Amino acid sequence: MHAGLEHYLTVSFLLFSLGLLGVILRRNLLVIYMSLELMLNAANLALVSFSRFNDNLNGQVLVFFIITVAAAEVSVGLALIVALYRRRQSAHVEDLTTMKL
Amino acid sequence: MTLEVCVMALGVVLMLADFWLPADRKKFAGYAAVAALAGLLFLSFGGCGCCSLSGTAFNGMFVEDGLAVFFKRFFLIAAILVLFMAVEFSDRIAGGVSEYYSLIVFALSGMLFAASANDFTMLFVSIELITITFYILTSFQRGRLVSLEAGVKYLILGALSSSFLVFGIALVWGTTGKLNFNELAAVAAQFESNKIFLIGVLFILVGLGFKIAAFPFQIWAPDVYQGAPTPTTAFLAVGSKAAGFVLLLRVLFTAVPTVTAHWANLLIVISGITILYGNLCALPQRNLKRLLGYSSIAHAGYLLLGVAALSTSGQSALLYYLAGYLFTVCAAFTVICLVTRHLDNDDLSALAGLNRRSPLLAATMTLAMVSLAGIPPLAGFFGKFLLLKSVLEQGAANPGYYCLAFTALAGVVISFYYYFGVIRAIYWSKAAADVSPISLSGPIKVALWICIAGMFWLGLFPSKALNLATEAASVFAK
Repeated sequence: MHAGLEHYLTVSFLLFSLGLLGVILRRNLLVIYMSLELMLNAANLALVSFSRFNDNLNGQVLVFFIITVAAAEVSVGLALIVALYRRRQSAHVEDLTTMKL
Repeated sequence: MTLEVCVMALGVVLMLADFWLPADRKKFAGYAAVAALAGLLFLSFGGCGCCSLSGTAFNGMFVEDGLAVFFKRFFLIAAILVLFMAVEFSDRIAGGVSEYYSLIVFALSGMLFAASANDFTMLFVSIELITITFYILTSFQRGRLVSLEAGVKYLILGALSSSFLVFGIALVWGTTGKLNFNELAAVAAQFESNKIFLIGVLFILVGLGFKIAAFPFQIWAPDVYQGAPTPTTAFLAVGSKAAGFVLLLRVLFTAVPTVTAHWANLLIVISGITILYGNLCALPQRNLKRLLGYSSIAHAGYLLLGVAALSTSGQSALLYYLAGYLFTVCAAFTVICLVTRHLDNDDLSALAGLNRRSPLLAATMTLAMVSLAGIPPLAGFFGKFLLLKSVLEQGAANPGYYCLAFTALAGVVISFYYYFGVIRAIYWSKAAADVSPISLSGPIKVALWICIAGMFWLGLFPSKALNLATEAASVFAK
């Protein structure tokens, strides 16, 4: 069977939805953060497959930008989560309750 | 381009200056940054190459037009006022004060790029430059748990919204094959019934809606506003929101104008709910920064009135309102920053007896609240008037606009209660725990007077600023 554009896009949609579910349902900050990366990579997959099937390289260039930015985001994000863990000894969202109405 | 390069270079120099400056001289790095930015602002009015009114760079990704220049000056003024505040705040930051200044400057460069973005790649990179810098700025007081918590919340929700943004860009680019806004506008009409394209545009709007804290993407705002260091909160309220609005305007009116024309009802509903949500939730708040967080959601709703009107008068009213909002919010946060400098919380009770401790601060805060509430003769009144007028002008075509104008008026009336609660706390609260006078340094007085002058100037002599705003908005009329 030949894999066409729609197959790649379906996988990309599935990855995006799985990532979104992970963000909504999981309670550990690190797992949530991994799910967010999954969502970004779903977008990357969509861009690359569009790029491959439409014979247009602009999308792949954009993917490089996204990967670079995501790397910066991860380094800041992990540093933040580590700093929070040091203060609270926990990386669970239930513990993020200092600020309430 | 010269302007962005200069601001970037300033950021790097500030960071390097940290190595050589002795600890007691760090304050001067902040004032040096203020002076440098003020110089750039001055040059931008002189028109010597820095801010020419036309031209593109990077193959059309970066565009220099009236709108870009308007927003660049706006961001420069915002950064200058925030840096004044940051210098006053520096003794509450445990380490790396110069880094704090340089991060503000880097965020500013992201905003300058956003003002000129004319391509989805540029939009994405500039928005991320702003957001990632703000993750650090928000959690800069890493000894305070609230600051860290605000940073993590902003991080998770910010990353979520940027994945929506990226996925939207992927879908729009995949269906149309265009990343440049002008090229996209030329072909967008033929994709109007393409579901994937429309989902893509919707996802991009989700990403931008998060930046401006519009309903239903506003949940981060109160927590982040409350937890972040006060100068960061001010910059978030002014700079980050305005950057979201310039990108929203470019996407809606340059890239996909034909789609926008069909989505007037969506914009009306979002704008109305944002106004009501922000104002109603602000009512029970006792924490000053949280209160201003909710009020900033309400103001995002008022600003969206100008977007929903889908007209040049709406867009110019939006720009005018943003200019008034800049001075008003910077005034309010400067006062909060100075009053709560040695306190651990930012409760409303901290303002008790402020009129005896420092009449200038009390007057500034009162003026800021009056302007936010929209009472003449200050900037907020005329801005709200223009926004409502632009909405009512469209009422003949779509009765939804009348409902929206009514909702906005109801929101304004509700907001009187909590804004006057702040003023009451200053002048009429009984027990003032601390009555020691607050000493103000010279530079911060200058910043306060700039804010006051800005509020009065925009309120009393609106014609000059309105001309500038109309000129900037004429970019979309073509």
